[in-house]
Amino acid sequence: MILQIVISLFATLSFALLFGAPKSELFFCGLAGAIGWVVYVVLLGFDSGITIANLIATLALTVFSRVIASIRKNPVTVYLISGIFPLVPGAGIYYTSYYFIMNDMEQFSSYGMETVKVAGAIVLGIIFGFGLPQNWFNQLQRKR
Amino acid sequence: MAVTKEILALSVEIGDALLRNGAEVYRVEDTVMHILEAYEIENYDVYVLSNGIFASANEDKDDACSMIRHVPLGSIHLGRIAALNQLSREICSHECSLIDAWKRLEECKAIPYSKKLTRLFFCGLGCSCFGYLFGGNILDAVTAFFIGILLQMFLDNLKQHKSSKFITNILGSAFVTLFALLALFLGIPLHYDKVIIGDIMPLVPGIALTTSIRDFFNGDYLSGAIHMIDAVLTAFCIAVGVGTIITLFRFVLGGAFLA
Repeated sequence: MILQIVISLFATLSFALLFGAPKSELFFCGLAGAIGWVVYVVLLGFDSGITIANLIATLALTVFSRVIASIRKNPVTVYLISGIFPLVPGAGIYYTSYYFIMNDMEQFSSYGMETVKVAGAIVLGIIFGFGLPQNWFNQLQRKR
Repeated sequence: MAVTKEILALSVEIGDALLRNGAEVYRVEDTVMHILEAYEIENYDVYVLSNGIFASANEDKDDACSMIRHVPLGSIHLGRIAALNQLSREICSHECSLIDAWKRLEECKAIPYSKKLTRLFFCGLGCSCFGYLFGGNILDAVTAFFIGILLQMFLDNLKQHKSSKFITNILGSAFVTLFALLALFLGIPLHYDKVIIGDIMPLVPGIALTTSIRDFFNGDYLSGAIHMIDAVLTAFCIAVGVGTIITLFRFVLGGAFLA
């Protein structure tokens, strides 16, 4: 589990660097990605199904991004964009196109639906995350 | 009086820079309005799309002026967004005069990407980490690392030739798949699917998806739709790139090779 945390942290951190995130924020970007991924893996362990796991992981990621953005006085985008990478259905896109080519229509449609559902779950997760009122987060800013 | 024009130009220019580097529409609109207010322009209108800015100020006075900017969907630079955000904060708390602001804006725009070697290394690292996270073993991760480095070189090269986004995505994913399958063909016992998944991560439209959702959430349906189409088309291009090479290998080497 610790290995998973470290690896997802480095994965997100590297991509944050590729997208030009400020050096001082790289670690927090990585942390955002790690939190999303860990929540996802833990929920999968509880047999929650991939959609719910993605939904809650994205929600956790969004809330964390907003908290850290308030504390560090930076745009939420910096953390959210980096952190979303482990959850984006890259594998889904791959398997969908793979089975399409293999002419395995059953697998193709199941992976295709799964990819769409995951994308939908991410959408809802972010929307719920931003549904929380901003002034909860503003308090964090004042404390500092 | 040229002051209105000067102020509007500054705020629109900051908005342009934000949008160009991948900020969401709501942030751009908000920033432009706040800057105008900070310089005491009360009568203004701002309309921002994901690839354009329309703004006017003091329309009922003598020095009325309006500006339009076309901003093509560009590459993301989070550092510039953060720096511009900081700049607009300072302008709003009146810590920054108009002349200073222009100077600072130029500085923000000039923040570079990291050095080429650093980028290569971290692209490789990112790809290998993702390959591992999605169920590959150490060998897969190491292979993904090297292919990731090659991919970043390839993408940098394409960028210099200013090729279109579609071509970049199709060629990029085809490139990755080609090398993964070649490695498999040379007898390295890979889970080639994990390698490919790790290595297409830099192309996957996570950012377009996120930005699109945030635009929708803020009620900017048009910009949200533009980004969403961008995300879907990018995903489609990746699928085409991967698919072409796999088909090619199956055709040349027979179906048993990739079963």
